[in-house]
Amino acid sequence: MISQLLAIWQADAAFPSGGFAFSNGLEGLAAAGDRLSSDELEAVVEAALRRRWATADRVALARAFEAANDLDAVAEIDREVEATMLAEPFRLGSRRNGAGLLAAHARIGTPGARDWQARVRAGRALGHLATTQAVVWSGAGLDRSGAVLASGYMAVSGFMTAAVRLGVIGAIAAQSTVRKLLPVVAELAATPLPGRIESFSFRLDIAATRHARGDLRLFAN
Amino acid sequence: MLEFAPGADVRRQTASAARIGVGGPVGSGKTALIERLIPVLRGRGVDLAVVTNDLVTKEDAERLRRSGLIEPERVSAVEAGACPHTVIREDPTLNMAAGDDLEARFPGLELVVFESGGDNLASTFSLDLVDWWMFVIDVAGGDDIPRKRGPGVLKCDLLVVNKTDLAPHVGVDLEAMLGEAIAVRGDRPVIATNARSGEGVEAVADMIGRAVLFSE
Ligand SMILES: Nc1nc2c(ncn2[C@@H]2O[C@H](COP(=O)(O)OP(=O)(O)OP(=O)(O)O)[C@@H](O)[C@H]2O)c(=O)[nH]1
Ligand SMILES: [Mg+2]
Repeated sequence: MISQLLAIWQADAAFPSGGFAFSNGLEGLAAAGDRLSSDELEAVVEAALRRRWATADRVALARAFEAANDLDAVAEIDREVEATMLAEPFRLGSRRNGAGLLAAHARIGTPGARDWQARVRAGRALGHLATTQAVVWSGAGLDRSGAVLASGYMAVSGFMTAAVRLGVIGAIAAQSTVRKLLPVVAELAATPLPGRIESFSFRLDIAATRHARGDLRLFAN
Repeated sequence: MLEFAPGADVRRQTASAARIGVGGPVGSGKTALIERLIPVLRGRGVDLAVVTNDLVTKEDAERLRRSGLIEPERVSAVEAGACPHTVIREDPTLNMAAGDDLEARFPGLELVVFESGGDNLASTFSLDLVDWWMFVIDVAGGDDIPRKRGPGVLKCDLLVVNKTDLAPHVGVDLEAMLGEAIAVRGDRPVIATNARSGEGVEAVADMIGRAVLFSE
């Protein structure tokens, strides 16, 4: 039971990690065209889950989780993550969000957090979110499947929280979308891990890239 | 299985520069006060940097970078995801990381000043982020602000009442307002400033020095 509770603990937005400040392209998308309907919002998030979370974040997390005791191996996966993120706002966002999560875990003394943080600070690792989650969640005692579910849940809830703050959807209606997307996370979490980390969410990539050039923004990406 | 070893003084293990917060309602003069404090503190030999939490733009960060008061690289901006209180209270990790980053880039840094995005009277700083913080209100915001006993006004280490020069123009009895502020704060420090002229700024710097820099 404890590993499930630990996964809930880490997936809870009350755990400070900086995640609330990232819309992962949604702010750019919301600013770009007509108002997004809730169906469109759902489609955008589902696409991000299928083409980015399942094929990139999940893969990096699961592989780094297995390697969490060997920080050289984690750093290798970390570089792969960097190389597969096309849009700079996603690369920087992932690194900053990783640093935020790491700051909290270093502070509470999660095993492994300080060593990984020292590496990132020394420039010997980039500290992307997925690889950092692997290190600190392994150190905190989650199991791999709990870690993958926590990451998938946070991908959905992160988008939906941003959507609420952007006024794209109401806070309660958002939960109906979350409910519809949870089976997608469950389905994707159960699929075999591909050998390579791949990410392809061109609509959000373009939206985030345009967003980064704009002066007016609430979110970091 | 879980060998957590937080220790009593966890913050100090990661941060060596003192960290202070400057919060307060929109437009009360937080950035103006920081612009005044920078030369005073630097004149006293304090090695410092600033992190701003602008809400929508990078206006404050850019203003400080262009000010000529401090090297532009010593000013970092952290986005607040539409929630200026979250980024200093419920989830200060991005600010903590920005502070860590400044410390790594500027060895010898002694002070990091975090400016909160303009917020309401309920905004307070997490002590995970800062060692000490001030709340800046202004005379023109109304002389009833202290009476409203917002958590920001009550809980801060120092309450700054700015824009004293405007008191006659907005029909505020400054002495009465300050008296009320001191009363609701149970005699904890209140300083009146005019960030236009610099009045009161030395007193704020003295207090920062005593509180976190261990200077006279
Ligand atoms: N008359 C007068 N004006 C002041 C004083 N301090 C600041 N101002 C003016 O008040 C306005 C707001 O000042 P800022 O320093 O930008 O206020 P702020 O609290 O940083 O604002 P936000 O970051 O947007 O919440 C500017 O036009 C300042 O020039 C003061 O002591 N007297
Ligand atoms: Mg300001």
